[in-house]
Amino acid sequence: MTVATEKQQQTAQLSPVPLQQTVEFRNVSKFYGDVLGVNRVNLVIPPGITSLVGPNGSGKTTLMNLVTGLIRPTCGDVRVLGLTPGDPEQFFRLVGYCTQFDSFGKSVTGRQFVEYGLKLQGYSAPHVKALAHEAIARVNLLEAADRKIAGYSKGMRQRIRLAQSIAHRPSVLVLDEPLNGLDPMARAETLDLFQQLGSEGLHVIISSHILHEVDQISDQVILLSYGYVVAEGKIKGVRDEVKEHPMQILIRCDKPSLLAARAFGCEAVVEAKLVEPDGHRGAGVLIRTRDADGFFLSLNQIVLGDNIQLESVAPADDDVLAVYQYLIGSEGGGE
Amino acid sequence: MAVYKRNYKPYEGVLTADWRRFLVPARYALETLFQSRLLVGFMVAAWIVPIFGVTVIYLHYNLSAITLLRLNPDQLLPIDGDFFGAFLSFQGALAFILTAYAGPGLISPDLSNNALPLYLCRPINRTEYILGKMAVLFIPLSFITWIPGLLLFAIQAGLQGQGWGWDHIRYAWAIFAGSWVWITLLALLAVALSAWVRWKLAASALLFGVFFISSALGAMVNEVLVTRAGNVLSLGYVIGIIWANMLQLPTNKTLFGEMFDIRRGDEIPQYMAWMVLGLVCAACIGLLNRRLRAKEVVS
Repeated sequence: MTVATEKQQQTAQLSPVPLQQTVEFRNVSKFYGDVLGVNRVNLVIPPGITSLVGPNGSGKTTLMNLVTGLIRPTCGDVRVLGLTPGDPEQFFRLVGYCTQFDSFGKSVTGRQFVEYGLKLQGYSAPHVKALAHEAIARVNLLEAADRKIAGYSKGMRQRIRLAQSIAHRPSVLVLDEPLNGLDPMARAETLDLFQQLGSEGLHVIISSHILHEVDQISDQVILLSYGYVVAEGKIKGVRDEVKEHPMQILIRCDKPSLLAARAFGCEAVVEAKLVEPDGHRGAGVLIRTRDADGFFLSLNQIVLGDNIQLESVAPADDDVLAVYQYLIGSEGGGE
Repeated sequence: MAVYKRNYKPYEGVLTADWRRFLVPARYALETLFQSRLLVGFMVAAWIVPIFGVTVIYLHYNLSAITLLRLNPDQLLPIDGDFFGAFLSFQGALAFILTAYAGPGLISPDLSNNALPLYLCRPINRTEYILGKMAVLFIPLSFITWIPGLLLFAIQAGLQGQGWGWDHIRYAWAIFAGSWVWITLLALLAVALSAWVRWKLAASALLFGVFFISSALGAMVNEVLVTRAGNVLSLGYVIGIIWANMLQLPTNKTLFGEMFDIRRGDEIPQYMAWMVLGLVCAACIGLLNRRLRAKEVVS
């Protein structure tokens, strides 16, 4: 986990996962003529769910295209489980790609679309039907599988795209805005599927603008801005590294005023603000501190000393959204 | 969520041969193409001239049939290079119409649907993809050009006997090679225009434009500059020169020469005709290379 790009090489070296099981970027740069795609990227992506987060034009799609072998780096080296696109037969079998756009003809049925992809992979006819069925079942679309995609809802199209990307059983799954257009129920099911795939040992690389959902499922995030990796790692770890923005901790208790007064006495506390009761939750104090660990030690003493009954203690800004805002801000229309 | 155990099983089944991969897009596109009744009807109608040709050949060797039809044997079309040249020209024109109908829809839907990344993130490269799309045209175009052409040649050789087939093997070669030159040119133009213009109708119109406007332009240059050099601009004329050479035909006072407006003495040189074809093919490949990218280039 790190915030500054200079530290990325170190992270790569310290990765506990064998490199043969990672997606690895070694000093990768990609330029489109004079336009920068990504620059000097060093990353090691372990199995599990990794989210790419950044404003439009930050380099998310370029990174995904590099992983899927659709484009080659201008310099540097991309290895997916130890392989490069120079070995297409092996490489492309490892990677599944779900684009954010519709990519099928109007007269094609969902099942045909998935089967077509499998045949392009070179899978033999008897396996194609079974694998397509398995993938369509996994995205809960069996009932509509033999209907033409032209009649699908946006959510169903998203799911059939997902089915084609997992049908050939890739080891690395790259998903470009996979939650777009899904209703809440389908979104929950899809997130559940990602978690299943991630827990099975797949590399699930997601680009998404729906940050709170990314936050729920991601094992790690990669924050991008203007083609550079701004931060990468587990969200909590990234948040801890953002020293210039004090950590916010929301404490709900029975004596918020007393707690606020006592908290001011702590050296690490920058601000303490009373919070009104929220629905069935009681009043509280929002603490901003530069040393969360130090504050938690002091909090124990305050609570015990003044007999304060705590209802909840929770970090208020160690999610992707907060980290995104701190590191990238609103530049490029980040959400 | 942590990854405790890697229990995801990749596919370990049988794979098809690499070289067959390009046939997958071809097969699917052919299926779609032959869903059109208009196309199937056209393909059947395209065999009218070959059947007429077979009839003419048959009449040459069946005096009783000539007598029955009260025909003068001297009025029958002679079975020579001109006959095969005219056949090739007529079937070539039909091949052009078929290409204008079927070709523009080959690549444009994939571009409109942003489907290229889904092709190219699999073990199929751009060349194989283009080859697959061109193969869609190879099959129906072969079916109406060199296949019936060689059939006519075989029937003529069989009926004439006495080593005619071997003595005139250049006709068979010209039919086969000439057809493939034409098919390749048409298929390449069709996929290039399909990649360039996403609207099917406009791509069809453009294909007609490439031939007819270039011919008109060539004729205009000829008129204004009082020359025949403008013919290099006419793809129809260029292909006529190549076929005439393959068939070793005299171009004056022949049916073939009339069809292509080729007059003896002012034909463009062979090398120039091939050069024009090479340039057109190179332009098509350049266009395809530019348009067929896995992802949009950031600008």
